[in-house]
Amino acid sequence: MSKTYVVPEEIASANSLEAKLEHLKNIKGSFNVYRVDCGSCNGCEIEIFAAITPMWDPERFGFKLVASPRHADILLCSGPVTRQMYYPLLRAYEATPDPKVVVAIGACGSSGGIFHDAYSVWGGIDKIIPVDVYIPGCPPHPATIIHGLATALGILDQKLELKEHKNGSNESPEIKTSVFNNILFERDVLAEAKQLMGYLYGRKLFDKYIKAVKESPNIKDTVQTKITMERLSREEEDPRYRECMKVIHNNVYLNHIKQFKEIDIADRIDLSD
Amino acid sequence: MKLLDMTRKYGNATYNYPFEPYKVPEGFRGKPAYDYEKCIGCTACAVACPSNAINVKLNEDKSKLVWEFNCARCIFCGRCDEVCPTNAVLLSDEFEMAVRFDKDNLKERGELDVECCQKCKNPFTTSKLISYDIERLKKAGWDEATLAEKTKYIRTCPECKKNIAVENSTQYFVRKRK
Repeated sequence: MSKTYVVPEEIASANSLEAKLEHLKNIKGSFNVYRVDCGSCNGCEIEIFAAITPMWDPERFGFKLVASPRHADILLCSGPVTRQMYYPLLRAYEATPDPKVVVAIGACGSSGGIFHDAYSVWGGIDKIIPVDVYIPGCPPHPATIIHGLATALGILDQKLELKEHKNGSNESPEIKTSVFNNILFERDVLAEAKQLMGYLYGRKLFDKYIKAVKESPNIKDTVQTKITMERLSREEEDPRYRECMKVIHNNVYLNHIKQFKEIDIADRIDLSD
Repeated sequence: MKLLDMTRKYGNATYNYPFEPYKVPEGFRGKPAYDYEKCIGCTACAVACPSNAINVKLNEDKSKLVWEFNCARCIFCGRCDEVCPTNAVLLSDEFEMAVRFDKDNLKERGELDVECCQKCKNPFTTSKLISYDIERLKKAGWDEATLAEKTKYIRTCPECKKNIAVENSTQYFVRKRK
């Protein structure tokens, strides 16, 4: 959607960077924050309230949530700006005394987030009013909010910068050697591990399983591998890994071994114990 | 005074965050860290990304494939991490992401060389992806002879592969009709 609101002359001139810096010098140690919810899902609001608990205690820097935009120095706007919240946002913006700092919070506030191309939203606070600080995150961690508010006041510096990578090599990235001299075995183990335990723990399960298989005296001997796997899964402390290692052994390892020789039911590890 | 004694007994719960570093818990989903050396340009992350924070597109003169990540749109779901075949995108511990004034500082770009189709000379994938494919097929137990025989179409784009298949089959039919 195109930009329809033009910031009035007197507000624009009163909100220059110099005026804001001068204002921050004058109000040092006491910053009143007004929170505008422009159609947010309330995730960001919950994190804002998490950030003002004694756990994080932003009153160390003088942050205080206020109930009226007329008392505020900082406008904390969340949400992708739905059509209904367009005028309330403008009213809050114009009611805030000059100079004011506008902070867009959350993925929706900074750029529209997951709703960036939806028909009923404007897609970001910066489409309507000038924004000083962007705090990405869905929702942002309380530490991110504290960092963002401190960045708005110039206490902390921003850490991110535009990164560009160019002229890399066309060589293939390193691929680890397979235990079976066939990378399809590792592929199947990783797929099964991710299906069993999700991407994060699945990767750890994959490492554990490959390490266990390598400890077997002869990988292609099903009896020896079964004994090793039973011993190692018994040593494993976490019951989730213990069971999943056995499942991978039954489903993937034995399936792979089928190419070389016949397997019988005794090769399967009993899951019941 | 009683309250102060109680505070001393239970300790201080407030994190001293900006003045000392905050350690995030294990499994924290922070800003996706991009490893340019490992990225092969397979576009799996761009397909998986629900909020289109990751875009992989050809640049204007079609000489490079540009991987672009916009952190302002990212919802930290970790799907890019999940699908990446080379672990080039991994969610990091980084949580200090706020930027002032310029939203472009949240972006990250990586340019990869494109490979043109042998037949129609149009770009269709990256050179790195093809070398990765060949490397993996070698590790899957293929020798050089099989590799040369079976990968003759690997540098041809899908559209041309389809046309070749259609040409071959129609020749067969025409001969049969005669």
